[in-house]
Amino acid sequence: MPDFSLSPDLESLQDLARKFARTEMMPRAAECDRRGIFPEEIYRKAFDLGLMNLNVPAEYGGSGLGAFQQCLIVEELGYGCAGMTTSIIANCLALEPILLGGTEAQKREVLEPFCRSYHLASFGLTEPGGGSDAGSLATRARRDGEGYVLSGEKCFITNAPHASLFTVFATLDPELRHKGISAFYVPREAEGVVPGKDEEKMGHRASSTGTVRFEQVRVPAAHRLGAEGEGFPLAMRTLDMTRTPIGALATGIAQCALDHAARYSRERHSFGKPIGEHQAIQMKLAMMTSQVRAARLLTWQAATLIDAGKNATLESSVAKCFASDAAMRVSDEAIQIFGGYGYMKDYPVEKLLRDAKLTQIYEGSNEIQRIVIARELLRRYAP
Amino acid sequence: MEIQVLVKPAPETEGRIAPTADGSRLDPAGIKWVLAGYDESAVEQALLLRERSPGTIVHALSWGPAPRSEEILRAGLALGCDRATWVEAPPGFEPTGIDAARALAAVLADRPAELVLLGQQSGDSEDGLQPLALAALLGRPGFGAVSRLTWDAAGRQFSFLRSLDHGAEEWTVPAPVVVGLRQADQDPRTAKLPMILKSRKMPVDRVASATVAAALDGHPGSPPLRFSLPAPRSGAKLIEYASPEEAAQKLLKRLREEAKVLP
Ligand SMILES: Cc1cc2nc3c(=O)[nH]c(=O)nc-3n(C[C@H](O)[C@H](O)[C@H](O)COP(=O)(O)OP(=O)(O)OC[C@H]3O[C@@H](n4cnc5c(N)ncnc54)[C@H](O)[C@@H]3O)c2cc1C
Repeated sequence: MPDFSLSPDLESLQDLARKFARTEMMPRAAECDRRGIFPEEIYRKAFDLGLMNLNVPAEYGGSGLGAFQQCLIVEELGYGCAGMTTSIIANCLALEPILLGGTEAQKREVLEPFCRSYHLASFGLTEPGGGSDAGSLATRARRDGEGYVLSGEKCFITNAPHASLFTVFATLDPELRHKGISAFYVPREAEGVVPGKDEEKMGHRASSTGTVRFEQVRVPAAHRLGAEGEGFPLAMRTLDMTRTPIGALATGIAQCALDHAARYSRERHSFGKPIGEHQAIQMKLAMMTSQVRAARLLTWQAATLIDAGKNATLESSVAKCFASDAAMRVSDEAIQIFGGYGYMKDYPVEKLLRDAKLTQIYEGSNEIQRIVIARELLRRYAP
Repeated sequence: MEIQVLVKPAPETEGRIAPTADGSRLDPAGIKWVLAGYDESAVEQALLLRERSPGTIVHALSWGPAPRSEEILRAGLALGCDRATWVEAPPGFEPTGIDAARALAAVLADRPAELVLLGQQSGDSEDGLQPLALAALLGRPGFGAVSRLTWDAAGRQFSFLRSLDHGAEEWTVPAPVVVGLRQADQDPRTAKLPMILKSRKMPVDRVASATVAAALDGHPGSPPLRFSLPAPRSGAKLIEYASPEEAAQKLLKRLREEAKVLP
């Protein structure tokens, strides 16, 4: 029977991430949020400590962590600052297609430099015309001699303004819909790669998000991942691996909101006693505690299944969906418990709500997650 | 060359600290033990000395109960120590005071290390006793309050500074020597993730408590009478405010009307 406690080995990883979050990320979080600063020196430190390419196997110089280990780390980082975490873990997302679909030579070519020194990569799937419907991409790949020519635009791409490499999904034939999609990797210095400006965002303001245009970019066939037409399943398998850590990130936001709220409940007085002694506040804190714990256990369960090599499509969607909704509810209630102060930017909780919101949208919106959950569920009740 | 660096688990101060039910000592339940303060600096300096003299072995040594000693040794391995030895404490002994020096000296006596390096005092009990007690028991020169520790390439002599309130002393001393470190040449490093993973699989040698029992024989330890927490701070009043102007107004009002330190 699992007892849900962490071994000393796991605790030592959690400690590293916790210490990094509390000493490096949190002291800068409010300022980076306020002014939309992309704190590259923090990301470099994360790289130096091995907190960046968590999923890349040690043989290529990465940290080689399993899903459970990644989740422990990402929750702690998410507690420190969700925006910084999104930028720190974006390499995991961008490099996963190479791990899943790359040849040995491709892995060595791309992964080793990424693990030797600090570089950022971006995952380019979403387009201005649509993100959820990833089967109908407009970015085109045309065969041209030995290779391909890419043209089109990707949007909402994490770290795009700073990335030195893009994994890109493009279609050889839009008529074929998802069967026409292929995956490529494209270095930023390739001619015709035009990253756009850093977008102004509601939350995750320490992260950088932008468009990237591909203007007749020549890509050698050696930079195609998998066979032609295998891009869509590769994107889906990638998101299968990265969805659960988003649940962990959301859990970190929720835990942070709960900690702030609980502390404040003991300090703030109204009607002659700490507000934490009013039952209405206690009910909120109880709900928040339950949400945080359920979110954590659901991510742990999905991660455990992934590490065991089992199918976790349903569980990872449940974890991402539940944890991100929990982060919204819990940060919302934390603001309520802080009252007027909660609405002020000088206090830390309103940022958590703005940060939580994104976790319901990216890496497959929660509507899409629910579609997946229902499909997986109904499959099991086939008449 | 070899450095024996001594590390002691200290309670993480952000965690829950409470006396045992009978009030006699710190309750170890639920405490998270960390490598703290001067010991962290000692490990850092040992690693710096090794970087300057490749081939040097840095060996971490800790006396105390499991699992906290093992965890602290793994923290040392994750930082870069080459080897680790846990000296098991017999039941009832706290890893502190003169008993610690007796047990550690019993183990160190057989080890040909040029340098025994430790924090000038531990992160928790703050006795400041180990460097000199160990030196006396080992019959080697011993120094506390040391910084800027260097050695010559052959490891035959050490130079360092002892910074004191009234000035600083410069020393050069032949090996072997016991050094209680006040400050490393740089801030202690943070263990990197791959090293943490590696440290979990490295061996931690164990010296059974029977080995040090003779050294402790007839010394039952000297526990304190009582352990209590510092008195909670009182008198601090938080000013709540929505703007800096409001904060200043409220502060001025209090300084005038309550503290009466302003006219
Ligand atoms: C800050 C940020 C960072 C991001 N980083 C990346 C990145 O690095 N790489 C990348 O490729 N993308 C990234 N994205 C894009 C993100 O994954 C998409 O925004 C997301 O998948 C939703 O796509 P969309 O915005 O086009 O919304 P749409 O697909 O247009 O959806 C609009 C709404 O309709 C709902 N909806 C859509 N289809 C259905 C349906 N069939 N049934 C019910 N409801 C439906 C959606 O849930 C949503 O609520 C990022 C987004 C943001 C905001």
